[in-house]
Amino acid sequence: MTVPGWVFRSSVLTGASVAAPWLAAIVLLVSRRQARVVGCIAALLSVIASTALVSRAPQGESLYETLMLLFSCLTFGAIVLLPRRDAEAETMAGILVLLGSTLLAYSTGNLLVLLGAWILSILPFLRASWLCSRKWRPMVALLSSSLAIALAIGFIIARTGVSSISHLKGQSPGGAVAFTLLIVAAIFRKGIIPAQAWVADAAESGPLVPAALLLNGHFGALLVVKLIVPLFPETDRLFPVLSYLAIATAVFVAIRALAENSPRRLLAFLALSQSACILSGLESRTAEGITGALVHWVVVAVSTVGLFGILRLLEVRFGENLSASKHLGLAEHAPRLAVSFVILGLALVGLPGTLGFCSLDLLIQGTLTTHPLTGLLLPIATAMNAVSFFRLFSRLFLGKRRTGFTVMADALPRERWILAGIVLFVVLGGLFPNATVIEHSSEVDVVDEAIRTFDNLNRSTGNSGNNLSMNARHLHLSATSMDAPEVEHAQQRPTGVHR
Amino acid sequence: MNAFQDILVFVVVAPGVIFGLFSLLWLLDWVPSERLMSSITGVTFSASTAGVAALIWKIGSASNVSVSLGNWFAVGNYHFPLVLMVDRLSVPFVALAAVLSGLIGQFSATYLHRESGFLRFFLLLHLFAFGSLLAFAAGSFDLLAAGWEIVGITSVLLIGFFHQRSAPVENGLYVFGIYRACDIGLLVGIFAMYHWAGTASFASGFPTLTGARAVIVCLVLLLAASGKAAQVPFSGWLPRAMEGPTPSSAIFYGAISIHAGAYLLLRAQPLLAQSWLASTLVILIGATTAIHGTIVGRASADAKTSLAYATLTQVGIIFIEIGLGWRWLAVAHILGNATVRTMQYLRAPSMLHDYHQMHSAVGGELSPTGTQIEEMLPERFQLWLYRWALDRGHLDTILERWVIAPLLQVSAYLSRRDRARTLSTTTIRPDRPAPVSVAGPAQGGD
Repeated sequence: MTVPGWVFRSSVLTGASVAAPWLAAIVLLVSRRQARVVGCIAALLSVIASTALVSRAPQGESLYETLMLLFSCLTFGAIVLLPRRDAEAETMAGILVLLGSTLLAYSTGNLLVLLGAWILSILPFLRASWLCSRKWRPMVALLSSSLAIALAIGFIIARTGVSSISHLKGQSPGGAVAFTLLIVAAIFRKGIIPAQAWVADAAESGPLVPAALLLNGHFGALLVVKLIVPLFPETDRLFPVLSYLAIATAVFVAIRALAENSPRRLLAFLALSQSACILSGLESRTAEGITGALVHWVVVAVSTVGLFGILRLLEVRFGENLSASKHLGLAEHAPRLAVSFVILGLALVGLPGTLGFCSLDLLIQGTLTTHPLTGLLLPIATAMNAVSFFRLFSRLFLGKRRTGFTVMADALPRERWILAGIVLFVVLGGLFPNATVIEHSSEVDVVDEAIRTFDNLNRSTGNSGNNLSMNARHLHLSATSMDAPEVEHAQQRPTGVHR
Repeated sequence: MNAFQDILVFVVVAPGVIFGLFSLLWLLDWVPSERLMSSITGVTFSASTAGVAALIWKIGSASNVSVSLGNWFAVGNYHFPLVLMVDRLSVPFVALAAVLSGLIGQFSATYLHRESGFLRFFLLLHLFAFGSLLAFAAGSFDLLAAGWEIVGITSVLLIGFFHQRSAPVENGLYVFGIYRACDIGLLVGIFAMYHWAGTASFASGFPTLTGARAVIVCLVLLLAASGKAAQVPFSGWLPRAMEGPTPSSAIFYGAISIHAGAYLLLRAQPLLAQSWLASTLVILIGATTAIHGTIVGRASADAKTSLAYATLTQVGIIFIEIGLGWRWLAVAHILGNATVRTMQYLRAPSMLHDYHQMHSAVGGELSPTGTQIEEMLPERFQLWLYRWALDRGHLDTILERWVIAPLLQVSAYLSRRDRARTLSTTTIRPDRPAPVSVAGPAQGGD
């Protein structure tokens, strides 16, 4: 039996990946049965459609398809990992709405559709039972970001009458007002200073696994990659402000995490601090920084979903009042959860042999090239995060063995397979980064596009664009570098982007 | 690749493969027997030792053996070269790591027999051997840093080996904090080399840096080396690290890990030679540590801590030798110190037994060996010095009071402000049906 050709059209595959979770969410809200099974099938359909999209995407233009695949896989893993008591119909429907809208935001090239996906992604969290109204900051941040992006898009369309992103590239549509509103939207959604506090509140008061998925949609970074960098090339002097704020967030939150004892808040701080680095890498406008940021995006997403998932499993097994203020000794009861937790956490903070090491190495290299002084703060923030993470690990898992537990507390088979998959991804990705992620992300159109746009701007203003052109050329050479003699590379001096 | 390059790759990679393979099998619910684990350890390190012997023979006739495995990853103009290299400087360290890892493996097969963490210890021993061999056989500072970090994390996990007691775990956390803080120096040094010299590789010539740039790189590398080698003011972590099992203390703090800082400085010798400021600082730090180590060691009440400070004193002297440019004396000193200390650490648990045997043999107490040098000091000063030594030179107090406490105070202040802005901190979590104490009975899987 042959599959009709129209099935493999990009629009059909994208539609399938977005529609499957939404339809499943509707089915769940109506029938309220077999929530995990329905959720798994819908997420799996999205994974299959995204895989087909990645395989059919032209060379060098597969960033968004890769992100779609990543997020669908993460959602599938999260659904399988979800404890039974959390896997009721409403929660599952919320997760599926989030999945569909996130995939739509990644895939769309239209401003209005992006706005719709943005708003849809926060709808499940507007339920009082998900983010309690007494924790006002998540609500305010999510609504403010939506309002800011709505105003920005409205302003752009009112000025230009065009809603297609590709038609607006390099035109600075809406000028400084639209640019500022987009930055505000990114700041609120990403949790950048001064809007950083909502992330920990959301992790503490909301359902843990859906909150992890919300944070790891990385809509703030998406806004930078999709709109801010390509549409506003002449904001060269304003854009670094976002990078400075991101670095300040990474350091501020890392300090804040040092004395935090709530595991939920502590993990949220770590995730926020590490993910703030993504923006500084994107802003660096060097091949190393941008690629590092994109790979770090993957690392943060995979690690934090795994870490939040393990934490939720621990809460379900050992009680809700887990605290990092004393040793709980849970490793004796759950050794595999302990090992998965420590590997994912150390990957998040850049342990050698994991993908986190490669991403942070590239990211810090790129950031230091552009901002030699402020960039120094990134390794400091990462070191503090590593200490905070190790404190959390040692307090949760090490210490005197607890008595009174009568049931098997370690990972169940379904949890074990998902955790093993996540751990293998970060470890194998770290051992063979060129073969897995970096090769792919170094071809991304957005990097090339951003550099070329900036390069053109430099040429039009009479500056030399040699450094940028060199970087753009090398982006396409990196995949073949395994065969290149080391000495040749050693003699080359990195040029980076010096503005 | 020729045979010697294959051997070099095998020596470095073999322990890593064993670690990865057995960790994966454990995750899949298979636990090897003690006999199998110790046999595989013995075979691996015996083969590694034979391989190192072949490399030593080769280096006798050639300047080095190096192998380029391409780039670990490469983006733009930035490359992370995978170059392994042993030369006359690194081959003693590689030999030390391979031989001592095998010896410690054999010793631990008996020492940790029926210990609940037997497999964990051996896995971490293999990971440590992989990290240290990678650091010593690296052809670039990037790869050295990767091995360096692996040694650090393994060290911390072995300090907390007896994790049912909170003291080893807390001490492990302290050591981890010091390591991470000082490792910033190594990372920044590598970035600086890339930024200014275009490479951090030393396999085909050392990165060319002069003037202030060379001084800056030397100073940040010195920070990393001082942290790893427990030099003043970071010496406080060394006695804390004695919480781990004796065999790991022997190989980490008697032999390999404690000398890794000295190896880094020896590697950076071409830069160090250009900077009188950095060289002087190395000598000063080494001298201060040596004096600190010998005084504090005299007031230490337990065998392992005394040995730790004895090691520290010697490492301080090694730093002085490096600062003075006496490279090969430093290497010889490291080899001697590492070997003797490993033996002393391994005998430390049997020290009372050894003394009893000696007393039996001589028919009574051993005769005193002479007066202590501190007895020549005025009595008042002796008391002050004793208190100072008991508190280990107040180094921990200074770090805690001037670095850790202010950071935690800032963090706590931010936390209070954060909480104050929230209307309520006691919210009902939707996915929390009933609060259950962690000390209470289990509620079932899901």
